This record gives sequence, structure tokens and C-alpha cells, in this order.
Amino acid sequence: MKAAPAAGSPEGSRGHAAKSLPYLLVTPLAVFIIGLALVPAAFTIIESFYRANPLDPPTRFDGLGNFRRLFANNAVLTSMGNTAVYVAVGVVLSTVLGIFFAVVLRRPFRGRGILIAVLILPWALPGVVEGILWTGIYDPSSGLLNGVLSSLHLASHGSVLLGDNRWLTIILIELVQVWQITPLSALLVLAAMQLMPQELFQAAAIDGCGAWQSFWRITLPLARPGIAVAVVQALIATLNVFDQPYVLNGAATTGSSVTEQTYFISFQNLDFGGGYALSLLITLITMVVSLIVVRAVYRRVDY
Amino acid sequence: MRQQGRIARWAGFAVVLIWSLVPIYWALKTSLETEADARAQNYVPFHPTLSNYTTLLTGSGDLPGQIRRATLNIVIECGCATIVTVVLATLAAYAFARMEFRGRQVLFYAVLATMAFPAYTTLIPLYRIMSDFQLVNTYTGIVLVYVSGFLPLATWVLHNYFANMPVSLEEAALVDGASRLQVLRRIVLPLAMPGVISVALITFLFAWAQFLFPLVLSTDSSTQPLTVVIAALQGRHVVPSTLLNAAGVLAIAVPALLALAFNRYIVNGLLAGSNR
Repeated sequence: MKAAPAAGSPEGSRGHAAKSLPYLLVTPLAVFIIGLALVPAAFTIIESFYRANPLDPPTRFDGLGNFRRLFANNAVLTSMGNTAVYVAVGVVLSTVLGIFFAVVLRRPFRGRGILIAVLILPWALPGVVEGILWTGIYDPSSGLLNGVLSSLHLASHGSVLLGDNRWLTIILIELVQVWQITPLSALLVLAAMQLMPQELFQAAAIDGCGAWQSFWRITLPLARPGIAVAVVQALIATLNVFDQPYVLNGAATTGSSVTEQTYFISFQNLDFGGGYALSLLITLITMVVSLIVVRAVYRRVDY
Repeated sequence: MRQQGRIARWAGFAVVLIWSLVPIYWALKTSLETEADARAQNYVPFHPTLSNYTTLLTGSGDLPGQIRRATLNIVIECGCATIVTVVLATLAAYAFARMEFRGRQVLFYAVLATMAFPAYTTLIPLYRIMSDFQLVNTYTGIVLVYVSGFLPLATWVLHNYFANMPVSLEEAALVDGASRLQVLRRIVLPLAMPGVISVALITFLFAWAQFLFPLVLSTDSSTQPLTVVIAALQGRHVVPSTLLNAAGVLAIAVPALLALAFNRYIVNGLLAGSNR
């Protein structure tokens, strides 16, 4: 986490220009970090305690008023429940699938490079456009899912999948996000698996350890650092989910996420104070939950 | 037993391919159909036609014009954001990795800290800052926000890259009287090219995928990128799904080709960026 000590700096005698060079090099970065990251973050923290609404001026101190209003707002409370489901479904599915894909791609074989390229494809695409692709799959009349389900006699032709049942809607929308975030989970777990010494598995095989057993007893525990990072990235993505529900569900409020509520509150109702308070809440929850996961799952592994 | 293992592996490969490619195939299929064919439930386009694409790319009228403008916008915004991010991150990362200066530790921690909070934390204040400086609906506003978002990760990845490179060559050149900037340009950059390419690709793909920030920062079609315009079309029932999917395929063509062509650089960059 620390910057490595600078090496090779014999420019002491080189005068003023050389001495000011590092400052010159980092100044643009510092301006961006301070001006467009730290200052705005401070804004979010401070103004969440203010009534800030262009339709109701002036901006004034309001204590915990914004937070009180948020917790009295049914749409916000519902979106919190929805987001909890997005997170649970997304983190579990992306992690399990990621581990599965990593196991599939673990050993070298011909064509592995191509398969990895195909694997990362969904990660590289914009979430909103993925929403469009999956709208086609979920379409009640012409969609792929209904087609497959009705030919298996599991659903009647033309039955509505999205926007009808709250939990089904959330699960289907989250599946689209899982499609996007699973590649990174798989890569992280795969990278952890590449570090494992092969002798360990050979020794286990000699001791009569089957493939299934060596997966549970050796692979999974040793992949914990990679799994921890995968879970954290999935947590951050799912806690802040916006693109997929926004596109797949449109104006319908079934299954709206907390970030969608932040957007509606700030940019449709112009209640910036409420928006600040809600973003602060999501940020805090994201950071606390990530920290807990890192503590619980991450174990340093030394070979 | 061996046979079983082979079958299991091939089944695994098939799952990876189906999982990643079927949604893309479905959009491609729909985009190659006529409206009537798309309403029927076909698994392949029976009468494939490029008419949806020719409509979008050469047609007159509101919708094709909007899509073409949005394509131009997303290319400009992502291109500029990538160039600025890579240049600034390279300079700063080199200073962090190789030079001693006051405030170095503090600034480095600030970079790490900004990576720890979710991007949307600063959505509303960034909008208000851009609005105060009259930068809503300008390329500058969007590019500034993108750069501020991607610069910390780019700097972190490049810093690690530089820090892991041997210093002996650079020291020799410095002793021979080369300046720091000459060393950076002639020795460090050529050696660090794979890392720079990784960072550039990832920054470009992140920028291409942006939606909520440009949705807020561009309220008219003059600067709206493809992602924002396509999402707006989806809500309008007058836009046929065939045309919508053709627009979707256009929007994923560039990132998909980049991902397929440069997957090694992307994988390395992603792994370097995720391990903090």
C-alpha cells in the first residue's frame, strides 16, 4: 500500500529545475484529485446535513433532516430492500460462477487464450447496452428465454417476465449485472489459482485425494485472497447498481435500486440535500461492508 | 475416469461460450431481421438484412442523425479522456516511483483514498461544479469528470509498473547526463509500453461504458454519448426492436473488438488494478 522508496535520485546538485520537476509532474494529478474528488466528496458529506434545493432556497443547515426524510420515504425504503436482494443475488452468483469459470480455465490447453478473450467480453461492454441486449432475451413475445421456457412447457407463451413480480424482476435484472461482473471475478480467482504450486496437488493425489476433495480442501482455501477481492468488487458494483435496472425497468418503480432513488431525488425532484444524504449512506455502507468482507474472507497465503 | 474428465472439461468450455456469447448473438440476430421476422420467435434470422444498419448509418431523419451524432460524441469523449488520463498518470506515476519530494506520501494516500469510495459518491457535487462553471453540455465537462474518475487507478497501476522495473539503466543514463524527462521518454516508456497500453485500454473501455455521469452532465444531444441516447430510445415504443438492437450492436462493436484483440493487455491491467 505504500509508495516504494524512490530510487536513483542523484539530481541533488542539478539545481532548481530538477528540484521542481517532481512537483511539476504531480501537479495535474493533485489538481484533479483535490478539485474533482476530495472537494466534491467533502461537499457530499457536509451538504447532506443541509437543506439544499434550488426550488426551496436558500441552502440552510437542517441537522439530520435529510436522513429523517429518507427513512420516512417509502420509495427509498423499498429501494433499500431491493438493493439488498441485488447484492445478495449478484455477489453469490458472480462468485460461484467466477470460481466455476476459473476452474474450467485453470489448466493450459490449446485455445485457452481465445476462451479467456470470450470470457472477458461481457465485462468490456457498457451496462446500459447490455440491458438492451437482455431486453431482447426477456421479451414476453419474441424473447429467447420465453421461447426456451415455453418449448420446455415451463411457461406459457407470452408470459411477462419483467416488471410483474418484484422478486423475479430483481433476480432477472441482477442476472444482467452478473453477466457483466462475473468475468472479473473469474480472472481474480484464476490469478490466485495460477500461483498455487502444482506439487501440492500431485502430493494430494498420491495420498488418495480425489479431484472433488482436492478442490474443497486445497484449491478453495488457497484461492481465498482472489475470492476476497472478487467478492469486494461484486459488492461495490451491486450496491451501486444503476444502469441495468434503469434500462430494463424504465419508469416502473418495481425493483428500483438505491442509486436510482438518488438520481430521482436529486435530478427529478431537485432535492440535492436528500441526494447527498442518500449517496453518503451508500458510500458508508459500501466501505463498511467491503471492510468486513476483507476481514472475513481474506487470508494471506504463503507458499 | 479420463473420459469423464474430458467430457466435463468440454462441457465447461461450452458453458463459458454460451454464457458470454448468447446475449450478443441474440442482439446480432434481431438486428439482422425485419420487424415482422423479429416478432416471430426465430432462433436464426430467416431473411437476413442489413437494412437496419443502413438506416442508422446513412438514413436521414431524427433517429439516425441522433445515433450518428452520439457515436461521434462517444468517440471524442472517450478518446480525449483516455489520452489525458494516460499522459497525466504516466507523469505522476513516474514521480511517485522514482523521485523524492515533499508531500509525496500524503498525495499518494489521497490517490488511494479516492479509489476506495464508489464513483457515484461525487455525482451530485460534480454536476453542481460543472454547472457553476457552465460546463454542462460540453465535451470539456464530461472529459474532466472522466479523467478525475480514472486517473487514480491509472496512476496506481503505472506506479506499480514503474516501481517493479530495474533502476540500473535509468541511473546509468542519469550519470551520463541525461535529464529526468529524457530518461522517462527514451528508457522508461519503451520498457513500460505494455503497462501503458493496458492502462489506456482499460481507461477507454471504462469511459465507453459510462452512463449515469453523462446522463446528468449532458441534457441535450450535442454531447450525449451513444450509451445515453440508446437508453433513451429504449423507453420509446415507436422505435422498433430491430433498429434498437442494431444501435446496440454498433455501441458494443468497438469495445468488443478491443476486448477480443487485446485481451492479454486488458487481463493484465485488470489484475494489476484490483490487487491493492
